[in-house]
Order: sequence, then structure tokens, then C-alpha cells
Amino acid sequence: MKKILIIEDDLLISSLVQFRLKKDGYETHLVCDGNEGIKAIDELKPDLIITDVMMPFRSGIEIIHYAKQTQPDIPIIVLSSLGEEEQVVLEAFNLGVADFIPKPFNPNELAIRVKRVLK
Amino acid sequence: MKRHVRWIVIGLFSLITGLTHAQENLIPEDSIGFRDFLILQNEIPGVSFRFQIKEKLISDRLLTDSLYLFIKTDSGFLSKLFSDFGQIRQLEMPLHYDSLQYKLHYLVFSEVSSVAATREYLSNRIQSGDLLVQFEEVAPSDDLVSLASYAPYLPMQRFKLRFISDYKLFIVTGVIAFFLIIATSMIVAMLFMKAKINKREKLRKDYDRLIIDPLTSLLFEKEQEEIELMKFDDIYQYFPEEMLAKPLYKDVLIDRIIGLNKKMKGDFKEKLKAIFKKLSLDKISLDSLSSSEWDKVAMGLVQINEMDLVEALPKVKVHANSSNFHIRSQAVATLLNLSEKVDLTFLRDQTFPLSLWQQMNYLRIIRFVRHQKDLKLQILFDSKNPSIRIFGYKLVSVLGRVDLIEHLAARTGEVSDEEKIEILEVYSTLGAHMEVGFINDCLKSENAELSMAAANAAGSIGDSVSADILVGLIAVETDFRRKHGFLKSLYDLDRDRFELATSTNPETETIEILKHILDPMLQHV
Repeated sequence: MKKILIIEDDLLISSLVQFRLKKDGYETHLVCDGNEGIKAIDELKPDLIITDVMMPFRSGIEIIHYAKQTQPDIPIIVLSSLGEEEQVVLEAFNLGVADFIPKPFNPNELAIRVKRVLK
Repeated sequence: MKRHVRWIVIGLFSLITGLTHAQENLIPEDSIGFRDFLILQNEIPGVSFRFQIKEKLISDRLLTDSLYLFIKTDSGFLSKLFSDFGQIRQLEMPLHYDSLQYKLHYLVFSEVSSVAATREYLSNRIQSGDLLVQFEEVAPSDDLVSLASYAPYLPMQRFKLRFISDYKLFIVTGVIAFFLIIATSMIVAMLFMKAKINKREKLRKDYDRLIIDPLTSLLFEKEQEEIELMKFDDIYQYFPEEMLAKPLYKDVLIDRIIGLNKKMKGDFKEKLKAIFKKLSLDKISLDSLSSSEWDKVAMGLVQINEMDLVEALPKVKVHANSSNFHIRSQAVATLLNLSEKVDLTFLRDQTFPLSLWQQMNYLRIIRFVRHQKDLKLQILFDSKNPSIRIFGYKLVSVLGRVDLIEHLAARTGEVSDEEKIEILEVYSTLGAHMEVGFINDCLKSENAELSMAAANAAGSIGDSVSADILVGLIAVETDFRRKHGFLKSLYDLDRDRFELATSTNPETETIEILKHILDPMLQHV
């Protein structure tokens, strides 16, 4: 079973994503801030990371940096609001994220993109 | 509050004056009463007395009595000074026995003083707290009425405590105590409020956790139609009835659904709206429109807007011209967003000026809904509010409504210079060549701002007449910036006329402007 780490400070959003991905048979783990996210990357060694950008303690960009340095093979999907500055989105892609899903989003669409990335 | 302060001041004033008056009343004014008062006091620092016998002869017994030490003077015999007033009666007895005429002299610091002066001195000492007055003790065995006759009414005279007798200290202590009580009450009130807020916050977090699971399940397990057809018993399986009876739980639900609605798209959005209505949360939003607190009304409007509660529009319309900026802005935004047929009359009839923020906000919504709804922007031109009319002109330009140029042209004769400037910008943006006559009229205006705006418009849509007017303006213009503007417009409009105008004008300033316009590096400087 593929392991997916969801790093999102909005508990309701992360629960929705988790619920949807569990339906597809993935093992999901939730953390709600950047520090916890980095810890979880080392401990869980997930197959995929889904992360928000604006979060407490450490931003999504810092998490992507860390993940790409320590475990460069893990694909990352960024789930963030459209209001985010274009520069941040570009930086995320430059760092090698697999996909960027802007909020508002549809959890079903996210599930399809996850499946595609994990193929 | 003011009334209470007044009464406190009056009370303090009465207390001070009452105490002062009471202290003065302690000393009798008649000489006999004063003598009896002094007898009760025994020794008084700085005050003494002596006897004066007015007879020419006194007995040898008295003359040689070492207790009195009488000496003979021109006015009779004078005794030595006594400091213990308690001895007066004892000292008077031998004088009475010899039937002698005598007088008591009071001395303050060894100077003979009258009764009034001595009384004044004692009064000051009592007021300053240097002297504690002694009173005659009345035997407790007497009946009350008799006792009362012995005790004249003298307020405060019975205060044995020095602290209470010293009214200044008493008042200062009272004021400090008052502030301490107020400060303590405030701290207690703050702690109480803080505890209440903390409790509320904790409850919110608890409810938040309780809401996540049922909301997630409902969104994924049920289709929109199924949610709409759900019965209350089915709903209660997700959200317990006893929880739905709690206003705070409903508040958290509203916040969560609204928050999620902003971050979701597709069928999830519709499902959230269905849940919102199924839980009767729309009624709370509607009720909040009648609240007397502006923030609740504004929040209600946001909820109506977010959850597309079209049925609330008549109530929303009432707030479109509210005196509160936030309510007004939200109401207009909601109406623009939700109205099936946006006739914009609610915006036309606004009496308050539109801020730039409001214009940006409304423009964003109008841009979004213009493809779905037929917006009759020309309604805004009839507004009595100049800021609404100007906003209408801006919309024509931003939305590219060339079809409305005719409406604008019909109005140019009756509008203010400020509006003419806005209309000129619209013409320039939309390339309204047919309105060049209006541009030329404005070029001739004495209003510098208007003629400059017309010159800018003429640069893109002017004709030969515009060029003639511009040449004339350049020849007489002395202001550098305006001259630069006119030359730039002429350059954009007709290069030949521009070169002719500059070659025949040898002024250094004109040559500098010419260089500036022709230099491609400085085009935007």
C-alpha cells in the first residue's frame, strides 16, 4: 500500500483529502505544520507528499527544499491557494514538484492527479 | 456615570465642610463655657492662665501663699502663671472665700490674649490635629433624656480615633480605597471575561473536531440530491440533535461550511450549499440581517453571498444604501453576484460616495458576472451621485462597451468637468473617433486639467482641427509639463505638424522637449 503524507494546517481540508485518498486504498498520514512535516518525511519515508505552502513554523517551500535534499525521489504535489504569489509557484516547480493544485480544488481531481503521479 | 461623580463630589465637599464646622463648634463661644472647656482639657501646650485681683488690699494669707505668688501692680494683684487648667476651681476657692473680685487672664505663649484670640488659637490646634479635645464624662446611670441634655449636638466630637478625626487622612484613604476597589473589580471582570473567552474558544475547537468527520462523510457518501432529500432523523445521525440546538455549534458549522466552500469547487460546492440549507443555517444568516450590530449584519451578508441564498435578496437590497461602509459594500457585492437580472438601480440610488476599494470590488464582480447577465450600465449615468456616474463611465471603458458611447455622447453637454475628463478617457480607450468634436471643445477649455485630458485623447483619436488647436496651445503655453503634454499629443497625432511647430519655435525649452520626445530611451521617463 502506497504511503501518502499530507501536510496541511487546515484540519478540515486535510481530512477531506485523507478521506478521498483512503477510498482509493492509500495509506495516509496527516500533519498540520512544517516542523511536523519534516519529522514525518524522515520517519515515514512516504511515496508521495501533498503539502500546502503557507503553514506555521516552516513553509511548504522549505519542506520541498528539505525533501528534495534528503529524499529526492519522493514526488511532491503542492496544494495551495491561487492567491499565492506567482514567484512561489515558480519556485516550487523549479525545485521539482510533480504537480501544483490551486485552491479552490475538487478532491476527486486531486485523487486523479495522485494516481497519475504515483504510476 | 456623570451623575454619580457629581454626587461623590458633593458628598466629599459636605464631609469636609461638615468636619471643619464640627471642629470649630467644639469650643464654646461664651466665657463661662470656654472656662469650663479649658478646665476639662487640663494642660494645653502654649496656653496658660493667671488671676488678676482688682482689690487694693488682699489678706496676708493670700499674699504670702506660695501657690499664687501674688505681686502688686498698678491695676491690682497678679498671680503667677498656671499651665494646668484643671486647677482653676481649686485655685478659685480661697478667692471666693475672701469675697475678692478677680479676673482670669489667658496667655498664649506668655502673651495675654483675649477669650476670642485664645479660642481661635485652640481651634487651629484642634483642626491641625495637635490637640485632642477632652469631654466631660456623663454618668451612665442617668436616664437617656437627662444624658441628652448634658451632651450638646456636636458632630464628630465623639471620634476617639485620631485617624477618623483627621479628615484629610480619612479622605485620602477613602480615595485610595475607592481606586483599589475599582481596580480590583476591573481585574476580576477581566479575568471573568478572559475565562469566558477561553471557554468559548475551547468549545469552538471541540466542536470543530466534532464537525470534521460527519461533514467529510456527508460530502463523500451522499450526492447533492440525496442531501436535499434527507430527513431530519438522517441528518441527526451526522449532526446530533442536541448539538444542533447549541448556537455556538451552529456558528462553528457556518464558519466551517463557508470556509470550505471557498476552497472547494465542482459538485462539492453544491453539496455544501445543500447541507447549509438542510441544517437551516440559512435562517441564521437571514436573521443576522436584522441585527443591530453592524458586524453581524456584514457577516450575514457574506454568508448569503457565499452560499447563494437568492431568496434573501429583498432583505439584502434594504442594506444597499446603508450608512455603514462595510454593510453597504457587502450588500452591493451580494446583489451584483446573486441577482438574476442585475438592473443596477440599487447602485444608481446609492447616496454615499464610492471609495476606490469599493470600485475595485464591484468591478471584479461585474467582470465575473457580465457574461451571464445583461448589465444595463447606462442606468448608472442617471445617478444623482457623481461618484456612481464616474464609476459607470469607468465600467464602459474597462468592459469595452462601445455600444454605450452614444449614451455618453448624449450626456456630455450637461456633465461636470470631472466627468468630462472621465468620458474623454473612455473615448480614448475605445477609440471613439466620431466624438472628436467633443474632444476639440474640451481642448479649448480654460480648465487646465480638462484641456490636458482632451490633449491626451486627441493624441490618439484627434483630427486636423485638434492639431490646429494643439499648435495654438503650444504657442501660448508657458508651463513646462503642459507644454510637454501638448507637444507629445501633437507628435502622436500628426508628425508633420509637430515638426513644423517645433522648427518654427526656437525656444530652448521647446528644443529640450523635442529631444525628450524623439529620444526612444526617454519615452517613458
